[in-house]
Amino acid sequence: MGSELLNGFRMLDLSNEKGALCGRIFADLGADVIKIEPPAGCSTRRIPPYLEDRAGPDRSLYFLAYQAGKRSVTIDIESAAGGDLARSLIKKSDFVVESFAVGYLDSIGLGYQALAALNPRIIHTSITPFGDRGPGKTYKGHDINVWAAGGMMYLMGKPDRPPLQMSLPQAGLHAGAEAAVASLIAHYARGATGEGQHVVVDMQACIVWTLMNEQAMPILHGDYLKRTGVHVGSAGVRRKVIFQCRDGYISALIGAGASTKALADWMLECGFGAQWMKTKDWLNWTPAIAMTKNDQEQILDLEERVQRFFMTMTKREIYEEALKRRLLLAPVADASDIASDPQLKAREYFVPIRHETLDRTLTLPGPFAKLSQTPIGPSRRAPTLGEHTDEVLSEIAGYEAAKIKALRSVGAI
Amino acid sequence: MALAFEGVHVLDLTWVGVGPITTKYLADNGADVIRIESTAKLDVLRVAPPWKDAQPGLDRSQFFASFNSSKRGISLDLSKPKGREIALRLLPWADVVSESFTPKAMRNWGMDYEKLSAIKPELIMFSTCMQGQTGPNALYPGFGQLMAALSGFYHISGYGDGEPSPPYGAYSDFVAPRFLAAAVIAALDYKRRTGKGQYIDMSQYEAALQNLAPALIDYFATGRILAAQANQSPRYAPHGAYRCADQDGIERWISIAVENDADWKALLAVIGSDGFGDRYARHSQRLGDQPGLDQLINAKTRAHQAWDLTHKLQAAGVAAYPVQNCVDLHQDENLEAFEFWHWLDHQEMGPSPYEGLQHRLSKTPGELRRPAPALGQHNQEIFGGMLGMDQAEVDRLIEAKVIF
Repeated sequence: MGSELLNGFRMLDLSNEKGALCGRIFADLGADVIKIEPPAGCSTRRIPPYLEDRAGPDRSLYFLAYQAGKRSVTIDIESAAGGDLARSLIKKSDFVVESFAVGYLDSIGLGYQALAALNPRIIHTSITPFGDRGPGKTYKGHDINVWAAGGMMYLMGKPDRPPLQMSLPQAGLHAGAEAAVASLIAHYARGATGEGQHVVVDMQACIVWTLMNEQAMPILHGDYLKRTGVHVGSAGVRRKVIFQCRDGYISALIGAGASTKALADWMLECGFGAQWMKTKDWLNWTPAIAMTKNDQEQILDLEERVQRFFMTMTKREIYEEALKRRLLLAPVADASDIASDPQLKAREYFVPIRHETLDRTLTLPGPFAKLSQTPIGPSRRAPTLGEHTDEVLSEIAGYEAAKIKALRSVGAI
Repeated sequence: MALAFEGVHVLDLTWVGVGPITTKYLADNGADVIRIESTAKLDVLRVAPPWKDAQPGLDRSQFFASFNSSKRGISLDLSKPKGREIALRLLPWADVVSESFTPKAMRNWGMDYEKLSAIKPELIMFSTCMQGQTGPNALYPGFGQLMAALSGFYHISGYGDGEPSPPYGAYSDFVAPRFLAAAVIAALDYKRRTGKGQYIDMSQYEAALQNLAPALIDYFATGRILAAQANQSPRYAPHGAYRCADQDGIERWISIAVENDADWKALLAVIGSDGFGDRYARHSQRLGDQPGLDQLINAKTRAHQAWDLTHKLQAAGVAAYPVQNCVDLHQDENLEAFEFWHWLDHQEMGPSPYEGLQHRLSKTPGELRRPAPALGQHNQEIFGGMLGMDQAEVDRLIEAKVIF
């Protein structure tokens, strides 16, 4: 059973990987999300890697993750009969989300103006890589291009090596989640006015927003950040944030008051401290804000000692002690660390979902928040291609079995 | 047309990143958001750079300002009973109460959801902290930088041959608010339709993991652990950042992603096909030798200006864009056309550069309605105006460092 929160509202999801998370969030919140796929299947079915590295329309891990909770209908929206069908579904829907090239839907008569004429309540959300008004509105932008355009790529990596993307592309996820928020803002406005509207999401801007205000540095400090590998630096401050340990890496914020004092005490107890650490006024030390030459020397000494100290322990040993001592520190966790984290277990975070076609039970990340009155979360597995075509056409569009059969025979569905 | 949340009132006790970014969605779209802060326990962003003219000061941080546009602010020390009593006088006014302390704080102050909803049953309240309100690590302190490590982002960032090269900053602080804002707005809508409020417990950890779902499903199903693999992709090849000609002594790079044979042919038509032989004719061949391919591509791109090559590649239908630094972002024509940058006149900072919204609504477009509040900027209009306190009482509370 889906959540009661948005129960009764329907979204048509025509997006690809730039917007899949939008529909997924709506499904988690309880909306009826219908994925409209071309007869060959949504391109997200072909995003590798695949489950067990075997390609197949139901085996893309990306698809299994971000199309969960939705129903699937195949429609050739460019055909006359398919366009009619899309229009009859739009009349019975509250939201449309899509990530086609700017202008494409207008060109086939399904742009916002056309949709609003059919259903003035419709909220039509368009996700664009570089906006809908600039010279880049017609640009092709895959995830890495938007990551680069938004400024995050330049800041990731080592100074003498190429800038980096994360090994699980993120820009489409930011855009999809932003599209969910923006669609809901329009939904709330509709509650008062009864009218829908057109919403445009700018993926590039979504990435700029993740830069933690570093983007204001050139204007306010006359300086800009370059990628620094395992260091963070800003306003002349430079600190190492990654340390090796016996079985991996640890991320620690050194120079943060009480936490650094607690770390220093722990190191002194274990014989890794230095004389100056015994008398340091840690609580009033703020090298993160303004660093003197002496601060920088102490930071470097501390970093070197922390590195030697951490090499004596595992990720788990360090993290468990850090929790007890309230250190600002975390393991550089991988999927196995996350899967076995006692905190997530205690909150029963992960959710098993049966997938009959794959004949196995998948484990998905659970609700992104716990709601007391209307719990949310993944409610059903990702659909097989066209799995719900018949039920959606008869239930929502009111098509008879014979008409469905005829549409199928001409390839419109 | 009125903004979406006109008439919605938010009593905002959050601080730092996730909470304020979430309430900013409401504020920029018309809600009256009153942030309660205190000199006794400053929002750490108030003392973090960048600052106006690079000079520190409690009302000079753009870092704080960017997350708090369109809000009003009062200064009230909630660690004092009298401070809490005054905060609770705003409860009847509030549709939403938000907080982002470690979980015990609100309980200790008698301001947890159970207590507040007993007074106001239709209240929507959200709490957001690192790991959620319950569980053995609920009290884990930290910032988004650490959460980005704990929730797996650091591990999948790097060249695959040594230590990670993490994303910049407190990455998960920019993942969680989009999820939280969606939940809060849907809860507001639900309340409007049913009259029922509720409590939202958001663990930033659990929100961040949504962005790693494919890797987690994979691990649970097959035991495979996703690792950092530089810019290599299972889907595109070539795929990465390629060195272009330096400009004004600054290194320049271009991002390129090739999805199929048509893209590949178009790429070669622009950069020249000599040197590739027939080793990379098929997509599977390109996917199979990305390091070798990258070397050859780099040798070609080095001769081009990044923007010039971008224009040529895009005209040929190849996905490309320069790798932009923070200076470039301010000159980017696409961000400009989206009207992303805004200058707002802050009480102490003067005209200051704010990032705008990442979406645009055609009929009820949100906007940065005013600059972030200086600490306690709206004390007078809220304590005196809204709560009707007389000047003598306000003065006494200032003296007692309750209004502080």
